[in-house]
Amino acid sequence: MIRIFEIEWLKLKNYRVFWVLFALYFLGLTIVCSSGMFLMEFLKSKGADLNGVDPTILPLYDFPDVWQNVTYVATFFKLFLAFIVIISVTNEISYRTLRQNVIDGLSKKEFLISKLALIVSLSSLATIFLFLQGLIMGLIYSKVGGLKYIFSSLEFFPAYFLEVCTFLSLAFLLSILIKKSGFVIVLLFMYTLIFEPFVVVNMEHNPHIPNTMDWIIPYLPIKSLNNLIRVPFPKYVLMRIQDYVALVDILIVAAWLFIYNYLVLVIMQKRNV
Amino acid sequence: MNSILKINNLTKHYGKIKAVENLSLEVQEGNVYGILGPNGSGKTTTLGMILDVVKPTSGEYSWLNAGSKSQSRKKIGAILETPAFYPYLSAVRNLKIVAKIKENGAENIEPVLKQVGLFDRKDDAFKTYSLGMKQRLSIAAALLADPPVLILDEPTNGLDPQGIAEIRELIKNIASQGKTILFASHILDEVQKVCTHFTVLKSGKKVYDGNVEEVMNQNKKIEVASENLEELKSIVSGFGDLESLENESGKLIIKLMNGSDSIDLHKYLIDKGIVLSHLSERKSSLEQKFLNILKESDD
Repeated sequence: MIRIFEIEWLKLKNYRVFWVLFALYFLGLTIVCSSGMFLMEFLKSKGADLNGVDPTILPLYDFPDVWQNVTYVATFFKLFLAFIVIISVTNEISYRTLRQNVIDGLSKKEFLISKLALIVSLSSLATIFLFLQGLIMGLIYSKVGGLKYIFSSLEFFPAYFLEVCTFLSLAFLLSILIKKSGFVIVLLFMYTLIFEPFVVVNMEHNPHIPNTMDWIIPYLPIKSLNNLIRVPFPKYVLMRIQDYVALVDILIVAAWLFIYNYLVLVIMQKRNV
Repeated sequence: MNSILKINNLTKHYGKIKAVENLSLEVQEGNVYGILGPNGSGKTTTLGMILDVVKPTSGEYSWLNAGSKSQSRKKIGAILETPAFYPYLSAVRNLKIVAKIKENGAENIEPVLKQVGLFDRKDDAFKTYSLGMKQRLSIAAALLADPPVLILDEPTNGLDPQGIAEIRELIKNIASQGKTILFASHILDEVQKVCTHFTVLKSGKKVYDGNVEEVMNQNKKIEVASENLEELKSIVSGFGDLESLENESGKLIIKLMNGSDSIDLHKYLIDKGIVLSHLSERKSSLEQKFLNILKESDD
């Protein structure tokens, strides 16, 4: 197991594209997570008011609400991590090194595990980083202190970890299936940000589409991921939100995680590499 | 001798194209086994199947040197088609990955790079290498774990004449250490020089399988000349084991039946009182045999 991890590390540690994407991810995440207060100041200066509330007094970084807020916002950045996985996998195909690895004695299962090791490592780093980010911002801005509040609602982090792992596994599957990095990136981008949301919105709100199929929505690949950590912000205008991670949502995502990786294994065993 | 590889009715179809058809082979330990065939005859597909990167349509193969298939591949050094390495990594870093996969050979990285003449460029990225250097790195990777079995698919592709000669020396050298080598090539001269056994593929079918030395001796010819060629010719015509006799630029080219050789002929000529100005054996090239085999298989 350590050997497989080392193999993946040797491939990546001197690969500049990998480090650049990694840095971009952290930079983007840091900017967005830390600029909540600036954003509120900006809204105020433009004369915005949220049902009569001054935006700058919103407790965005108060413990423990900060956890749901940062994990929700960070969701959008998982695409950057997916690019790393896509490039890493499609490179192995276009350089023919996957084939050479197998010739040299790596089994296809070991190859799958080596990429899973990458996925789990990226997801872990992202989760830890996000926790530190939230912690720092909370310590700066939170009007609520004390370990009791700081260490409550932490289940959003395992949920975030699961979400990123599953999304990266989807990227892995698409890379193995389609093989061309550019095409995979565009497809994943379009599907995640446009196609599936478009379908969901139409199913939910278009009066011309009957509602008999609505039960399927929570099972869709992206919707199920987004359901893990629900939008927290409406609570600031006193609307009810789901401020916990639901077991059923976890189960649906875990099922996708299994399906993606199982399909990768089946495809690799069947195909010439 | 022990078998090291058994191939049983291996078949690969790509849609309608029959790349390999019911191929059976057995390779003994220590053999240098040439796989010959025109372009597209199924050489690389066959090697791809026994290396688990091409899925056979039917049939099976087994390596007899280790348990699982991935374990036996760790004990095989293989070059298949074009060199495949991480372009952004140096030779040393690429070989570190190979050693990690094979769980062996990390300490051999510098020696093998010296052996193939890449040591001076060992820290340069693979993408900066010429085709010949890339091919040398493949050979270095194949030798890295000091494997008992080597599979070389056109190993001299892209090399300059000096490189070709070096690699040929290297292969002979490795073969003399008792290693088993499976060697695919369409350069017959190369196979003739290094192989002990060979098999000929044509359109995915095995059309010949045999021992290189035997084939060469089978088609051995003798050249003789003397001051009076006409007299020589009439006397040679009386030799009992004669199969054919030709006149070629001042020499007689004689082919004898199996079982008799140039010594028998020479004794006969001495008895007849003939003094030769020239006597030599001409081994036929594998090339002629190969072309004959392909031609026969057409009929």
